[in-house]
Amino acid sequence: MKVRGIALMLVLMVGVLALGTGARGAGAPAKNPDTFVSLRYADPESLDPAYAYDTASEEIIYPNVYETLIGYDGSVLSRYRPVLATEVPSVANGLISKDGLTYTFPIRKGVHFHDGSVMTPDDVRYSMLRFMLQDRDGGPSWLLLTPLLGRDSTRDKTSIVVTYAQAAQAVQVQGDNVVFHLAHPYGAFLSIMAAWSFVMPKAWAAAHGDWDGAAGTWQKFNNPKLQDRYAFDHMDGTGPFKLQQWDRQGKELILVRNDQYWRKPAALARVIIRSVSEFTTRRLQLQQGDADLIAVDRPDQDKVQGMAGVEIRDGFPTLVLQALHFNFKIDTNGNPDVGSGKLDGNGIPADFFSDVHVRRGFAYAFDYATFIRDGFKGKADQPNGPIINGLLGYDSTAPKYTHDPAKAAAEFKEAWGGKLWDTGFKFTTTYNTGNTVRQIGAEIIKDSIEGLNPKFKVDIRNLQWSSFLQNTNAHKGTLYALGWAVDYPDPDDFAQPFLASNGDYPKRNSYSNPQADLLVKQAAEQTDAAKRAALYKQLTKIAYTDVPSLYVAQPVAFFVMRSWVHGWYYNAVLGGVDYYPISKQ
Amino acid sequence: MTGFVVRRLLLLPLVGLGVTALIFLLLQFLTPAMRASLYIHDPKQLNALPDLIRKYHLDQPVYVQYWDWVVQVAHGDLGWSETAREPVATAIRGYFPATFELSMYAFACILTLGIWFGTQAAVHKDQILDHVSRFTSISGASLPTFVWALLLLMIFYGHFGWFPPGRLSLNADLFVRSGAFRPYTGLMTVDALLNGQWWLFWDAVRHLILPVATLTYFQTAVLVRITRSSMLETLRTDYVRTARAKGLAEHAVIDRHARRNALIPVITLASLLFVGLLSGVAITETIFTYPGIGQWGLNASQQLDIPAVTGFALIFAGLLVIGNLCADVMYAVIDPRIRLQ
Repeated sequence: MKVRGIALMLVLMVGVLALGTGARGAGAPAKNPDTFVSLRYADPESLDPAYAYDTASEEIIYPNVYETLIGYDGSVLSRYRPVLATEVPSVANGLISKDGLTYTFPIRKGVHFHDGSVMTPDDVRYSMLRFMLQDRDGGPSWLLLTPLLGRDSTRDKTSIVVTYAQAAQAVQVQGDNVVFHLAHPYGAFLSIMAAWSFVMPKAWAAAHGDWDGAAGTWQKFNNPKLQDRYAFDHMDGTGPFKLQQWDRQGKELILVRNDQYWRKPAALARVIIRSVSEFTTRRLQLQQGDADLIAVDRPDQDKVQGMAGVEIRDGFPTLVLQALHFNFKIDTNGNPDVGSGKLDGNGIPADFFSDVHVRRGFAYAFDYATFIRDGFKGKADQPNGPIINGLLGYDSTAPKYTHDPAKAAAEFKEAWGGKLWDTGFKFTTTYNTGNTVRQIGAEIIKDSIEGLNPKFKVDIRNLQWSSFLQNTNAHKGTLYALGWAVDYPDPDDFAQPFLASNGDYPKRNSYSNPQADLLVKQAAEQTDAAKRAALYKQLTKIAYTDVPSLYVAQPVAFFVMRSWVHGWYYNAVLGGVDYYPISKQ
Repeated sequence: MTGFVVRRLLLLPLVGLGVTALIFLLLQFLTPAMRASLYIHDPKQLNALPDLIRKYHLDQPVYVQYWDWVVQVAHGDLGWSETAREPVATAIRGYFPATFELSMYAFACILTLGIWFGTQAAVHKDQILDHVSRFTSISGASLPTFVWALLLLMIFYGHFGWFPPGRLSLNADLFVRSGAFRPYTGLMTVDALLNGQWWLFWDAVRHLILPVATLTYFQTAVLVRITRSSMLETLRTDYVRTARAKGLAEHAVIDRHARRNALIPVITLASLLFVGLLSGVAITETIFTYPGIGQWGLNASQQLDIPAVTGFALIFAGLLVIGNLCADVMYAVIDPRIRLQ
């Protein structure tokens, strides 16, 4: 009797499982129609627009909370629209001087910040100066410093080398206008302004302990630590959404609609951006309609294919470069990733990767084709340097490394005066938690290197995104996977961060080549497109010879969202989603 | 009884000293710079590691360092967590209630089911219930947590849409973050009741069901086996035979005579289980996106966040001591011979 009862219960359970379904299929009404839920695996590092320089942070900052003077026209990168300025400067309308050195932006009136105060040209100037002069290590300040002051950092190795007067001279208020004086003509200046001219209120910042805009105090605020500024976790922009809460313990950030927005308020009342590291959980939440858009890596695309009520928008060309970076001068102090910290077979010394034969060994050992097949399902190209396809100066004929174990072994046999092959090494490579593609890359490194010589050992460790960034910024990375998404569509945005001494990666990894520095500077200042392209081709050759990084993929992008999402568009420069035009129907 | 408890309480500081000494000795394997991070309670201090090494005598003899550290811990200062980006003590206060709530419900289920199934399996030895409990125990012990958790999530959330991941659903979450809700304990179900919000209570329960079920399935298996073997041993004793010979009803023999005495090893295990639950829910919390201390602890250990891991170890060592004390008291309650000794 009991057996029969249990059997009956099991049959009933199976029956209910087979019949019932709670999934939201195609045509189902949108769940929480005024709230957009986006699930990521990365967590933002900072909400300060002058500090943040990663896609997870940028998604929140721009264009949703902070706005820029001008913006891109939807998906089109070559056309701009006025935002906090009332006109897009051009030579034709007289707002760009004929010599290309002066840009004038008439500032929009009647725009309110989220704290209720009215935006003034002085706030715009303050924000630009703050962006340049805050200049944290590995931050975005170089984007304005380079065209305006002609240098990519406020500091050299020992001291501050920029004066307030220089910065103040470069950005001036003239009546209702803000005028920018460039150090040299720079054709890509508008595209920088379209993505990096964030405006915050000076009074709000100063009242909360930030720089007050005075000439004599800015140096105190130069190169801050992550949480030094109030703006690290507070926001006061002019955008269509304002920050309600950043719950770092709950890994959730809530934006609410700005009903005082200077344009028509957004259709969405709320945007929730949550970090969910487990892919299956993200997928199920999308399936149930509890999430509207989720982060999916290419290897997991099959698992969301054919889901009812879910759309995969695919085939977007990107200006993104996935790379593996060598740290030339690892901080071995308390660093678990270097093993013994010596070249004794159980670790690596701080300058392990400073030997070009080691780097070339890795370059020949890495299996690029397998990485592109497994990591991107074939939807990526192997670049031949930092100047990727789609940029001026891209050279499709330039040489690139291919998987060649024999050449890799030959390079390793020459490394460290010929003793590395016999001594062996051991270190840990890192990638950010949840990133399946980079995990695959790390596994390929491990397999290919350990297959060359049993004395070569590579371990793998994942780190939460924000900690990963902090770790590599602190020079603790060894060989690590990190990509570069375009800041503005110009080759300088790839040459400088990958090859200039003060660039993002060379600074993290202590790579320096004076010839590359000179060429990056010359190319940035060159106005003749053909000459400029030639300079970038030279830089591509240097990248091949020096191998400061392995340029492993330029992927094609795809996005996974509920089909009730309307108004979404792709823009290669945006770190995330522009939520303003989005509605759920 | 009171004397017994007082004697046990008096031993607590000594145990605490032993635990802190052990943790401190383990820390000695780290470099002074890594140990200095334990004394950071503000990110601005990150630049001043050499000063901190001098200030806290990290280049001094071990006993000097130990005393400084114990004094600091006694003041509730556990250092700065880079992964939580806040002081460790603040992070623990924030994360702990969610895990405690999850563990509390799981523990109640484990205890109830484990003891009941264990008893029934022993009483009905080699019958269907015993076989079912054996099968459940073996599968519970052999199936990886993440497989079971994902399976439950796929069926009861993905398929039925009944029990979602997270701690609250969207509307409940927004309500809790609004000024209309007052948190008292950090335990969502309790706070919902204290706020008189039954819908919120039910919402929190819906989110607890799957993680509680996951934890219950795994931990009950062990308890069932222990209860069963302990019951079998007790059922064979003379006093149980005497009770039956006196003509006592079977349920009275089982409930009053056999089970009470069989509970001693169960209590030992249960106290360890509860602390084990608190410290070992990382996988369950990760899969169900449940924002508890387990997820943070896992993340902190992966990222070698030494102050966080040390704080974690201290807290759970303290809980283990308290758990053992509770078990000791329970022994005394159940078995008069223990308190008489």
